[in-house]
Amino acid sequence: MDQAVLASVPEIFARRVGPARSLATEAERVARACHAMATRFHRGGRLIVFGNGEAATDAQHISVEFVHPVIVGKRALPSFSLTSDVATITGIAAETDFGDVFAHQLRHLGAPVDIALGVSPYGNCVNVLRALETARELGLLTIALVGGDGGEIARSPAVDHVLIAPTGDPRVAKEVHVTTYHILWELVHVFFEQPGVLDPQVVA
Amino acid sequence: MSSADDSMESLYPFLYSASADLDRVLTAVRQSTVDKANEIVALRQTVADRDGARMAACAEAMAAAFSRGARLFAFGNGGSSTDAQDVAALFLHPEGHPEGHPESHPEGHPGSTARPLPAFALTADIAVVTALSNDIGFEVVFARQLAASGRAGDIAFGLSTSGNSRNLIAAFEEADRRGMITVGLAGYDGGQMAELGTIDHLFVVPSSSVHRIQEAQTTVYHALWELTQDALTRLGPAAEAPVPPRAK
Repeated sequence: MDQAVLASVPEIFARRVGPARSLATEAERVARACHAMATRFHRGGRLIVFGNGEAATDAQHISVEFVHPVIVGKRALPSFSLTSDVATITGIAAETDFGDVFAHQLRHLGAPVDIALGVSPYGNCVNVLRALETARELGLLTIALVGGDGGEIARSPAVDHVLIAPTGDPRVAKEVHVTTYHILWELVHVFFEQPGVLDPQVVA
Repeated sequence: MSSADDSMESLYPFLYSASADLDRVLTAVRQSTVDKANEIVALRQTVADRDGARMAACAEAMAAAFSRGARLFAFGNGGSSTDAQDVAALFLHPEGHPEGHPESHPEGHPGSTARPLPAFALTADIAVVTALSNDIGFEVVFARQLAASGRAGDIAFGLSTSGNSRNLIAAFEEADRRGMITVGLAGYDGGQMAELGTIDHLFVVPSSSVHRIQEAQTTVYHALWELTQDALTRLGPAAEAPVPPRAK
């Protein structure tokens, strides 16, 4: 075996530890985001998810997580990704602008009670930001999972809840995002199963 | 009450009292996030300790295969299908590759010099997936696709959390018959995937949480990709421009 290849294994794993632990310091933001999401689901909202490239697969993972939970007995919650319909995406991109692929779908598929969740490894994806801005104008709850320094998306006033994976490595950011959305799913159910905590009078 | 509900109650005891209020729930869920972060850090370390050397060996085998013109075929069900698509996207168009938009990429992070490699996600072609499922059965979807497109020396890359998905078992058997290099990711104790004898490089994430398994598997395939890129670089210029094999 090439010892140089073997030697890089510890560094590859070590690079993940800090960003993964950083999620613990985000616990308050995670809890608030979950409560807001659960409140929307309680009112009949749906979770609409989007992202580019590898984050497009996260969008699909998040929607299957909510629609078909891996833990038996948890109820299905309505969710869909804007990355799955390749006819629509290529149609919009070819005729108008790739920056509009998610915003267009949100304008025509979203309702004010819904939740818009965008995933962006550096926080600078133009079409994700535009979709979050569109969602905000329509009255949706807006949430972003971003990496790096959070980028334009973290600085945008259109986003209600921003969770940042503090790393410039898009692969490591994705791994933090996977843990984050698994936790979002679990904790939404914790709130959702508690009669009382989702009533309008306790919603901040 | 199911065992899942029992464990939920032990994790969030406040929620099962009549007087649950928002602050108490928030406190419980905050602690849950901290616990999950610690859990995944520990699990990844276990995986690195157990399988680090085998990951390097697998990456070397994949790099050698790519340098000979191999294509990678990734497959999985449900959440693992999104991982399969992530694997294909990662090898074919690594995020941060210079062909992308440089303005959105910080300088010098891993991946900025990565080489695009040929990879397909078998779950992405919904026409083929639904045709096979409708006409024959869902258990043949990946195996039939590999039978149609896989060549000796190509790479079959399957992801499962249970290790028991019937269509993955069939796919690995088909891939093995065709002389493909087989890479499998599983969870728990590896399930049937660990008993097959048809998987050259099997990585089992020893956890009973589907979520933690998927999170650690994401790290495993990211590490395999990065090690494969390293190994390709070390193979030198001859490996940089493989001649595509001719059709038979």
